[in-house]
Amino acid sequence: MTVEPALAMTGIRKAFPGVRALDAVDFECLPGEVHAICGENGAGKSTLMKILGGSYRPDAGEIRLAGRAVHFTHPRQAAEAGIAIIHQELSLLPHRTVAENIFMGREIAKRGMLDKAAMRDRAAGLLARVGADVDPQTLVSSLSIAVQQLVEIAKALLLDARILVMDEPTAALDERDSRTLLNLVRILRGEGVSIVYISHRMPEVTAIADRITVLKDGRRIWTRRTGEAPVGEIVRAMVGRDLKDFYPAPPSSAPGPVLLAVEEGANAYMRDIAFEVRTGEIVGVAGLEDSGKAALAQALVGDAPLTSGTVFLRGQPLALRTPRQATAAGIGYLPGDRKGEGLALRQSVRDNALLALRAIAGLFTRPEHGRLAPDAIDEKLRAMDVRAADFGQEIGTLSGGNQQKAIIARWLAQESDVLVFVEPTRGIDIAAKAAIYETMRRFADLGRGIVVVSSDMPELIGIADRIVVMHRGRMAGTVPRGAQEEDVMHLALGTSGAPEKEESP
Amino acid sequence: MTTAPQASALPRRPARIALNAGLVIFVVLYAAIAFIQPNYLEPGLFMNFLRRAAPLVILACGQLYVILTGGFDLSMGAVATLVVLAASILINGDPETTWAVIGALYVMGIAVGLVNGLVVAFLKVPSIIATLGAMLSVNGLALAWSGGAARGDLPENFRNLGRLVLRDVPFVGTLPLAVIVLLGFVAIAWWGLNGTVYGKRALVVGDNPRAAELAGTPVAATRILAFVVSAVSAVTAGILLGGFSGVSVNAGEGLELQAIAACVIGGAQLLGGRGSVWSAVFGALSLFALFTLLNLLGLPQALRDSIQGAILIAAVGATVWRGRRRA
Repeated sequence: MTVEPALAMTGIRKAFPGVRALDAVDFECLPGEVHAICGENGAGKSTLMKILGGSYRPDAGEIRLAGRAVHFTHPRQAAEAGIAIIHQELSLLPHRTVAENIFMGREIAKRGMLDKAAMRDRAAGLLARVGADVDPQTLVSSLSIAVQQLVEIAKALLLDARILVMDEPTAALDERDSRTLLNLVRILRGEGVSIVYISHRMPEVTAIADRITVLKDGRRIWTRRTGEAPVGEIVRAMVGRDLKDFYPAPPSSAPGPVLLAVEEGANAYMRDIAFEVRTGEIVGVAGLEDSGKAALAQALVGDAPLTSGTVFLRGQPLALRTPRQATAAGIGYLPGDRKGEGLALRQSVRDNALLALRAIAGLFTRPEHGRLAPDAIDEKLRAMDVRAADFGQEIGTLSGGNQQKAIIARWLAQESDVLVFVEPTRGIDIAAKAAIYETMRRFADLGRGIVVVSSDMPELIGIADRIVVMHRGRMAGTVPRGAQEEDVMHLALGTSGAPEKEESP
Repeated sequence: MTTAPQASALPRRPARIALNAGLVIFVVLYAAIAFIQPNYLEPGLFMNFLRRAAPLVILACGQLYVILTGGFDLSMGAVATLVVLAASILINGDPETTWAVIGALYVMGIAVGLVNGLVVAFLKVPSIIATLGAMLSVNGLALAWSGGAARGDLPENFRNLGRLVLRDVPFVGTLPLAVIVLLGFVAIAWWGLNGTVYGKRALVVGDNPRAAELAGTPVAATRILAFVVSAVSAVTAGILLGGFSGVSVNAGEGLELQAIAACVIGGAQLLGGRGSVWSAVFGALSLFALFTLLNLLGLPQALRDSIQGAILIAAVGATVWRGRRRA
């Protein structure tokens, strides 16, 4: 290959406390090439892109742009060097016009005054180039997500980006808009732009990419030309991992009667949900980011209620419109955003564990008596093996694993029947993970049920007795314990059965 | 998460430090007062000091409820003004009606608190704006009702609540009625926060309303109740103020900010999640002792406001700075 790569990253290493996020990763992208990066959550994709974008500095390794070594200390430097990153969450200001957004921070001035006419004209030109049929004067908030995405790309083109990183660009788009976007990617490639394309959607990746790199646990597994990388190979490379003893043994007895059931559940994020959890059972929920798996969890805890359908608990229909009703009925929630939604960080471990009991108790209940007594809750905390010097200390000072165990103690104290976990081990070290899996199993073995929503495939395979896989707001299928990750992935990606039937452009 | 494992060293200390801060400041300031005017050490003058500090302490206790839940109540000074003006108009010189009117005043106050709470909890208007609006409306209403000037006079039995001093009481010698009201109010405020689950709910709502909600806490009700308690404290303080100084159109002016400053000096955290009744009580006593001290030093009254502003900024700055160092 004689062409000088537009981007060459070699030997990139990056460690965070306790995690080696990237380990000697090489990655390159030629001019006019679409190079896809595939990998599970936590594989290191976004860390690599944050290094490229100047948000993180690598511990070791080199970045060359068209042969010239660069060292970014600030995202602005990366932007000026011609690197544009389009994130999944768009960065546009909703209450500004399209033109104002495109020129944000780089306004054209004439004698110290904004030259609005010039900016409008340039913006119109850029928008035409990306195929967005919109007036530069429109407010961004009035545009669809798909068009906003195009505006974001137009903004990148303003800087004459030579390297365009697209992180899950089609995650929020429907099929038609996805196709438009992919066409634009082809056009930009034709103009010689190098495109780094990150996506979970296999049909899209194989359709658009020239080369594919698979990352896993911070290492590069391989880089191949797309023709030499069938979907099956990619998925296998993404998931292959051996962590058998890490998970608790499956239960010895079959699950009991149905504990929680959803019939014909639907809301804005999902449809046709028929779902049940039996006593003693851990049910996993898998799916891509936008598959509706998080919405299912939120519906089960009354946070984003079903708009139609019924939830039954032990055969009785249940009103489930607020989290308070869920708590009272015995459904507990461990949110994925532990610090943002799970904990009151400045309160004590004890106070956090007592949160649900106090929330449901009558207003004039005396605290520190009966079930609310410190001794009673300390017992639950010890049963969950929460390690703290003193349960009166602020919970914010505990490790993630201990915080998570304290939340479980909260629901144990409330005698919940069903726990809904979302990403139970995100950001938790290996040892604490194993402890949490053990705790989950123990909770289920007490005759209760667990729903665990996770984007960590090996975790679901290891812990769940059964995995429900969601795809685009529907339940795509259920796989039993002992299934392969590939089976789950195929359902989640919509590639099971006839591959590429659904999304071929 | 990165700082988590090694941090098991400081169990429970922040709350205790906060309590001590208010108490220590108060003792130091009162010692300074006694140094200049030794007779402040006599029980009688101390009781008089408490009597005059009573409205501020009561207001601070009410304000504390709102601060714990993560809000502000700027309307309490206006409510106190309304109470004084409404009392003189409604009683209209007839002592027979005093108790009925006091009942009516509490109803008015609770109504203002409910409106504040409903607007904050359901319309999601930031409390600083919602209660600023309430402050302007209530003030305007009070002025319009009274015709813009103080009118009428309050009967003896109403004014006694603020003015009457019981004599020949064992141990303390004299005991102002206002101090009994003060102790009663502080006791109820303490009970609300420590004798029921409400206090812990309020702390969690102030710390992380989202986590509180997802665990089943009635967040809206908790917020609304805080504003009602705050308004009730404002009515109580207004009644005492009417007793002290009679009818005036600016009876409650600026008291809301004094109450907030008091809570902060005592160690309650603005925007919620930390604080106790003792933060409010000792913070308010400290602030009042400071005013007394400035008076004794002969500083002009107007400087009081400047100093109060500086203290408020310093106290909040110190909290934020401490928080950043820990993070």
